[in-house]
Amino acid sequence: MSESPNVMTNEERVAYVQIKRKQTQFRDSMLAVSGIVFFFLLWEAIVLTGWVDSKKLCSVLEVFKLFILKFTDPNPDGAVLLVNVWSSLLIALSGFGLAIAIGIPLGWLMGWYKGFDAFMRPIFEIIRPIPPVSWIPLSIVWMGIGLKAKSFIVFFAAFVPCLINSYTGIRQTKEVLKNVGKTFGASNFTVFWKVGIPSSLTMTFAGIKVAIGNAWATLVAAEMLAASSGLGYMILMGRSYGRVDLVILGIVVIGVLGVLISAIITKFEDLLMGWKKL
Amino acid sequence: MEKVMSSNTVSHLSQAEKKQQRLEILYKILPVISVLLLISLWLFASKDYNPKIGSGFPTPAATWERAVKLFTRPVKKMNLIMHALISLRRIGFALAFNWTFGIAFGILIGWYAKPKAFFSPMFDAFRAVPPLAWIPLITLWFGIGEFPKILIVIFGSLASIVVNVRAGLSTVDVMYLNVGSVFNATPMQTLIKIAIPSSLDAIFAGVRTSTSAAWMVVLAAEMLGADSGVGFLISRGMDSIDMPLVLTGMIAIGIVGAILAILTQLAERLICPWTRKSK
Repeated sequence: MSESPNVMTNEERVAYVQIKRKQTQFRDSMLAVSGIVFFFLLWEAIVLTGWVDSKKLCSVLEVFKLFILKFTDPNPDGAVLLVNVWSSLLIALSGFGLAIAIGIPLGWLMGWYKGFDAFMRPIFEIIRPIPPVSWIPLSIVWMGIGLKAKSFIVFFAAFVPCLINSYTGIRQTKEVLKNVGKTFGASNFTVFWKVGIPSSLTMTFAGIKVAIGNAWATLVAAEMLAASSGLGYMILMGRSYGRVDLVILGIVVIGVLGVLISAIITKFEDLLMGWKKL
Repeated sequence: MEKVMSSNTVSHLSQAEKKQQRLEILYKILPVISVLLLISLWLFASKDYNPKIGSGFPTPAATWERAVKLFTRPVKKMNLIMHALISLRRIGFALAFNWTFGIAFGILIGWYAKPKAFFSPMFDAFRAVPPLAWIPLITLWFGIGEFPKILIVIFGSLASIVVNVRAGLSTVDVMYLNVGSVFNATPMQTLIKIAIPSSLDAIFAGVRTSTSAAWMVVLAAEMLGADSGVGFLISRGMDSIDMPLVLTGMIAIGIVGAILAILTQLAERLICPWTRKSK
């Protein structure tokens, strides 16, 4: 630090920059760790000093103990943790899969074919502003409180970002690329299939990521309003039995699973679109 | 060919241009057809609606009657407009907090390296939890009054604005910053005169998404336990098997949501006109 950079040789300067960068990285990761530690310490301190009622907050260790216990113990909500996780995943992934299978092709077609756009757009614009949560009563009337009704709600939540992103993605296809296709005598459909869709994939994947977040968030609401198992139901039961540890455990499990799912999608995106890294 | 040329007023147009014109007309007609189709679909779905026992999907007429009845015979002494205003007041308080605190916090963790490293893991963990999952915990802590509802909306829409502000401030073009240092800008000047203006569009994207998120969350919060607001109307309709009321609520929510989206878009155009996409 003390010596002026002017007297350094090139190699020294490179080494100096590298050391400096390592130091910053180390400092940042230390800060990150201390941030997390600080959070947990604060939590424990609040519990230990009895600053808030023990009915309203429990210690981190208790949540962890419950996590272990919940693998075998179905009380108090009537299902072990893995059953809850499975039933939530089933709903989220079925609704999400349906949204991808319908929303993305629809967005591509609307973005490419003007007539189709003119036809579908008004319908879409009428339905879009209605939040998915408010479909819950109707879907219960139509389909009961089974898997179908909840998947339908999740579908609605995931459908909109899928469609919007694949639509904007394909609308942003570069004219040059389209013209190259036309010059080589490709039909409109071939240009759509070979040029439009691949060039829209970046945007489409961004939409998929938003969609999975929405799907996962709406799932909780769907399960709170109508369910007999699942993570949202588990949280709600924890609330009605006054079991704060169960509520916190449910929130943590939902959060962790959400992060895992989006990490898997990012991996998949990297696999499918290797050219982006170049 | 000759006949067409002589009889048509647009005879000076070529074949391709005519085709183009026909398509334009078709594009004008198609939206009308699709809306009509949607309405007839509604009529078809509600054909075995029985208003006496409330089974089946309500007809448009029944929904309209219910909406009018809501003004003559209010639910909980409030008509539709008042319920909507109560919901809007809730998101108003929450958004006022989020737009001040959220933007400030986003700037803090987007611009300064040390707070970024310290707070980012905590914030990302907070963000990973779906907004609605906080509802049981917050009602456990604060009961079901007015304050916990506002708090739920704050929790639900805070993440979207902080994420956008953080992204905007951590991706400021290096060239702009270099210009600043060439002109000997102080760190404060660099932040206020360069970084924040250049990320205004990202900040506004955050304002837009947080508004729509808040509207969705307030609805869910009201459906889970409230005695006023549009979300309450829906859950009331569900409890008393009054499907026209549910549909009235849904349509009101859709309209208010659309108005909110348009208003934030207009505000964005006024405050940062350069973000408007060039065609």
